[in-house]
Amino acid sequence: MSVVYCHIFRRLISYNPYRKKSTTMPLKRVFFWQPNAGSTVNSQILNEVSQCVESINGVKEGRWKATLTFYKPMLRDQALSAEFPREFIGISLPEQPNKYYFVLRFNKIVLESDSSIQLIMEKLQSYKSRVALNFEGFQYQLGDFQLRVGKVVPSHSENLRGIVMEVEYLPISSLEKSKQIMEEFFDIWQDAISKRSLPGRFIHIEPDFSDYGLADHYTSQHTAVQYTHVTSQLIASVQAVQTGRN
Amino acid sequence: MCCSRNYRDTDLQYVEALEILLQGLCGVNKERLRVHEICLKSGPNLGFVVSEVRLLCDLEQSEPTWTVKHVGGAMRGAGAEQISVLVRSMVESKASKNVLRLFYALGYKLDHELLRVGITFHFQRGAPITVTVSSVNKMLKLHATDEAVPVTPGIQLVEVTAPATSENYNEVVAAVSSFCEYLAPLLHLSKPGVSTGVVPTAAAAAASLMSDGGGTTL
Repeated sequence: MSVVYCHIFRRLISYNPYRKKSTTMPLKRVFFWQPNAGSTVNSQILNEVSQCVESINGVKEGRWKATLTFYKPMLRDQALSAEFPREFIGISLPEQPNKYYFVLRFNKIVLESDSSIQLIMEKLQSYKSRVALNFEGFQYQLGDFQLRVGKVVPSHSENLRGIVMEVEYLPISSLEKSKQIMEEFFDIWQDAISKRSLPGRFIHIEPDFSDYGLADHYTSQHTAVQYTHVTSQLIASVQAVQTGRN
Repeated sequence: MCCSRNYRDTDLQYVEALEILLQGLCGVNKERLRVHEICLKSGPNLGFVVSEVRLLCDLEQSEPTWTVKHVGGAMRGAGAEQISVLVRSMVESKASKNVLRLFYALGYKLDHELLRVGITFHFQRGAPITVTVSSVNKMLKLHATDEAVPVTPGIQLVEVTAPATSENYNEVVAAVSSFCEYLAPLLHLSKPGVSTGVVPTAAAAAASLMSDGGGTTL
């Protein structure tokens, strides 16, 4: 096991700054922090996670921020709300500053558009922004991987609602071809973070991208779908904690 | 916002002459136009006012591309009546191919659909101007663009549009009006919704253009 660990770690730290990033979209997995039963997420956990990244030679590069917005329909008769999508989500991603993404999770629809689509939605007045969440923090370079660790906070509040982590593998765009190395990386990560005895763990539940008509070749639409699913899982997790308290 | 004028031509030979004239005036090659325009309206319960949105599918590309377009109300008031072009807000956004499914899922319904077929010129003359000469066709079956027929056979729509901001729309209005003057021997463009007749010089101008391919100065 330790031989495998050293081999993979050598691959990770043998970063060649002249190696070209994939000319197509590198793939990523988005994880969310699942607190243990009876515990909650807090900023101390976020600090520990960030320190853990740095302890495995992650080089801090800068800040990142994504925003997820819940839209609600403007209805003349609220009794007919069941006729309209339960979750209509808009997402802006830092790697695509001129784009905006819509996801209808229950309809399995994802749309990529120019960011001017937000102005069109405002003019249509049929759907309005209900609540927005910011995912923000620092990003780190770790060999051929790029990590982003971030807090989840409502846009007009500093209440920490969750912690997310993005693991991006730069050389490959194929979901299938990257499975093994992503799992190997996560095993190393788990080994490192477990030493800190934190009350929880990072979880990744991969959405079925084919349900959304998305192929094996990774795109920002895949990222938008991941953030939608992570958010619903975070909300379920928070609600479970609140139910437990009650 | 955008500024526009249009014209309905009743004779196809004028279209060929117009094409020659435009080729000379614009200084750019024409581009073929084949756009499926899907006009959606919000369903009865959605929104406190009815909203409309247009989805444009460019069928001339090897892989069809989609644009979402919202056209707002026209500028109104005494000032607007003084202006010789129509000024109204317009917002466009490129979108991926799921856009029609998305709007249907959001509660929008198909109001009507059209297929515009023709030519277009994009050039700079005081403003980035687009001239489109197209036939407007309707589909006999839902989304059947291969079976479209003209809404008004023999009639083409000529549109001259240019984008503008609230700060520069007067300059853009002047640029569009000035360009339209060059087309006067052949056709008279007016604000959308205002009908015009055939220009008296149209036949002679068209004949002249057709006889020497546009070498004659009008």
